[in-house]
Amino acid sequence: MSSLFPLIEGSARMWKTLTYFVALPGVGVSTLNVFLKHHGEEERPEFITYPHLRIRSKPFPWGDGNHTLFHNPHVNSLPIGHEDE
Amino acid sequence: MTHQTHSYHMVNPSPWPLTGALSAFLMTSGLIMWFHFNSLILLALSLLTNTLTMYQWWRDIVRESTFQGHHTPTVQKGLRYGMILFILSEALFFMGFFWAFYHSSLAPTPELGGSWPPTGIHPLNPLEVPLLNTSVLLASGVSITWAHHSLMEGNRKHTLQALLITIMLGLYFTLLQVSEYYEASFTISDGIYGSTFFVATGFHGLHVIIGSTFLIVCFMRQLTFHFTSNHHFGFEAAAWYWHFVDVVWLFLYISIYWWGS
Repeated sequence: MSSLFPLIEGSARMWKTLTYFVALPGVGVSTLNVFLKHHGEEERPEFITYPHLRIRSKPFPWGDGNHTLFHNPHVNSLPIGHEDE
Repeated sequence: MTHQTHSYHMVNPSPWPLTGALSAFLMTSGLIMWFHFNSLILLALSLLTNTLTMYQWWRDIVRESTFQGHHTPTVQKGLRYGMILFILSEALFFMGFFWAFYHSSLAPTPELGGSWPPTGIHPLNPLEVPLLNTSVLLASGVSITWAHHSLMEGNRKHTLQALLITIMLGLYFTLLQVSEYYEASFTISDGIYGSTFFVATGFHGLHVIIGSTFLIVCFMRQLTFHFTSNHHFGFEAAAWYWHFVDVVWLFLYISIYWWGS
């Protein structure tokens, strides 16, 4: 079976309209929403050595074995505390 | 009798299934060598051989179909079944991770503080970047449909334009997720929350990258006139895969990002 012909002639035009007038503006609005909300988010939560977090059963096979792959010193602490304090 | 009297494709012998299997074996052994013996050579070799296998196998399929005409409607039907079954298997793969997530989050243990999110975990705000990511993938679903209809109507320029928009949206999603991974206050080592979050979203992200690659290949094939307005199964397969990736994200968003926060 070959691929179906569009059931409505000119339906590509509808999808083009939807793309430019609904889908992409939706992305734009969401981007703006993130951009506006992002100002003023500097504080980080207090560090407590919970045993159920920052688990190290085995060292990671990279670096010093103690940092996760997407480690961010500003927001991620190590098992003993934040690095940059 | 010098020609086939059936509509199936009897494929010529090929080395790629063997090299693919060998590369998979190398990959598993390579991971063991890396994790336990601090050696990267087998893993690196496996990535190389795996990539070469994929490139050459799929290149051969394009040669057999677009250039040699072996893909009759019968053959195409088989490929459709194949792609559907493959996507089904991927859906089941993700269901496993959703099972793990719900198992741990519906009945949080005392070790976690008896709550979900666990004590000390500050989840991402679902109304910020995750919501943006949702709009990006939904938009890409619209643009890829535009691309498909343009292709069926024989509009080359619009097909390329719509495909490009879809690919850019896919790349935008990937960049946003990488940024989220860096900005999150929790990591994969933060107990079962971290494990379920990063394994589920991580595999999803990998599938976005795979899907984007598939779309880029379609873009290049469209540029070089491989597709016709009524025979373009490669494009359809890419579109199906892309919609699947979008649907998985919607489940992730609702379960992990929204309900789980």
